Amino acid sequence: MSMTDEVAVEPKSGKSSNHLAPGDVGIVVPHDFVYSHPFAFKSGQIIPGFTLRYETYGALNATRDNAILICHALSGDHHCAGWHKAEDRKPGWWNNIVGPGKAVDTNKFFVVCANVIGGCQGSTGPASIDPSTQKAYGIHFPFVTIADVVRSQKLLLEHLGVSELHAIMGGSMGGMTAVQFSIEFPAFVKRVLAMATTARESAQAIAFNEVGRQAIMQDPAWNQGDYPRDGGPRVGLAIARMMAHITYLSDTSMDRKFGRRRTTLQNQEGVPALDAPFEVESYLKHQGQSFINRFDANSYLTITRALDNFDLAQGYTSLEKAVACVQSECLIVGFESDWLFPPEQNREIALALLKCGKRASYAELATDLGHDSFLLESEELYAIVRSFLGRKTNATDFAI
Amino acid sequence: MSNIPEKRTIDMQVIGDWVEPNSKVLDLGCGKGELLGYLMRQKQVISTGVDLDFERITACVERGVSAYQGDMASFMAAFPEGHFDRVICSRTLHELHNPASVILEALRVGKTLTVGFVNHGFWKNRFYTLFQGKKVKNLIYPTEWDESRPANPVTIADFEAFCKRKEIKISRRVHLLGDWKSPCRLFPNLLSGYALYDLSR
Repeated sequence: MSMTDEVAVEPKSGKSSNHLAPGDVGIVVPHDFVYSHPFAFKSGQIIPGFTLRYETYGALNATRDNAILICHALSGDHHCAGWHKAEDRKPGWWNNIVGPGKAVDTNKFFVVCANVIGGCQGSTGPASIDPSTQKAYGIHFPFVTIADVVRSQKLLLEHLGVSELHAIMGGSMGGMTAVQFSIEFPAFVKRVLAMATTARESAQAIAFNEVGRQAIMQDPAWNQGDYPRDGGPRVGLAIARMMAHITYLSDTSMDRKFGRRRTTLQNQEGVPALDAPFEVESYLKHQGQSFINRFDANSYLTITRALDNFDLAQGYTSLEKAVACVQSECLIVGFESDWLFPPEQNREIALALLKCGKRASYAELATDLGHDSFLLESEELYAIVRSFLGRKTNATDFAI
Repeated sequence: MSNIPEKRTIDMQVIGDWVEPNSKVLDLGCGKGELLGYLMRQKQVISTGVDLDFERITACVERGVSAYQGDMASFMAAFPEGHFDRVICSRTLHELHNPASVILEALRVGKTLTVGFVNHGFWKNRFYTLFQGKKVKNLIYPTEWDESRPANPVTIADFEAFCKRKEIKISRRVHLLGDWKSPCRLFPNLLSGYALYDLSR
């Protein structure tokens, strides 16, 4: 759910030439898709139109069927590959997997990634101006569901002239979006690749999100969602992010990365000072601080609510009934150390698909990095992604 | 002894003959999906494989074979009775911790269970142990004991006794000689190198 590690070591090549590295898409420019017709949310609430900020990499082919839609996680955005400026410290959040010759090969595929509706990275969300009041929507922004995210992104794909999706893929919330998309538009999606995800948020996941929401809403600066653009519940949002970030990692990975190391020495008497924090504390504080500079608190409330309410089986008698309409070939990837959306919850999706006779596979990577493992630089992960995306759909085309 | 890939082909052909076109097939211990890929091409089966290894699942995905990484018992537990037309357990039996429960569970979720295994009662295996006094080592089991996976060697006699005890119906059986090609008509537990069975309840 998080972005890649904020305190990553600078690449050896020196940051000024990062965007020129072979295999990278280079400098990219985000675009805005403006939909100027009324858009009705699942809740029944209607907005007069919306904007989705997106990026594309690679080119759409003549038959318009080589598109791959990448769906981001809670705090992600449309910038999944390349660099906005040569001096950017970091590339897009999935730069390791998207690029020329990479597992999601932009020489072959037209890759699209959009910031979700309800988000705050350029797409219409609670911080956008409500044309009827000329004020920010704030908490009056419609209740967003993953199905709304899907339907708005389908409009973007139609706008781009995509006739069918070669694949849709994502991790965490992105995985939910991918599976939901193939239920909403079965004939439009050839392949679904969902990682570190779930068919429904568990009580534990909802509980963590609620603590984050409470941190925001108990911050007086939240002011019932009515706060100036450059203000708001910065303390609450930072705490929400710090707590959530813990759920994206694992005991083992945190111990390896920070152990019990401290950032400052003990005082002269050798007694630990109250202001001598452990490295893990300053790391989380840094996560929180950098998050408040790029994320809107009301968007955080909106999207975590969308996550909590996500339940594929809702409205059906079972998960199998929910996925019965799926026509895509599916690959679900779970990660052993993911305790937010554990392997079992990923397996459940694959099993439901298989029980309905769908073409579905389940693979599980033995990493120890927790939920964020799907962002990992792993040759094994690249290999299975490449195999799934690169192959022709019909098994009979392949010799032994 | 002929080489191993050729032996795999023989195995495929026998099982391929038994599989009904367009049927639902589950392969327990599907490996890289060679058999299921073959059955998909030859018999247009709706296939699913189960295996424990990530790289083998990747190979299945590459081939277009649906595969599930995980434990076969818990996989089968998720399915209703008779969901699959055929469950295949080819050269997996001897590596199972609990062969009886896997076989019985496979006969629950599958209308038919096809089993193929190397006969450890084959005379060469007996002679090897008798004269060398060591764990059998050959083309099929090339490793020393200290680098072998735990194995639970099974013989034709063991297997048939098991089926009788559990009242499992043997609808077809094929016993092949040491070349894994020619049919073995006499004393299969001594002269047969490889055995295939079609079972039902």
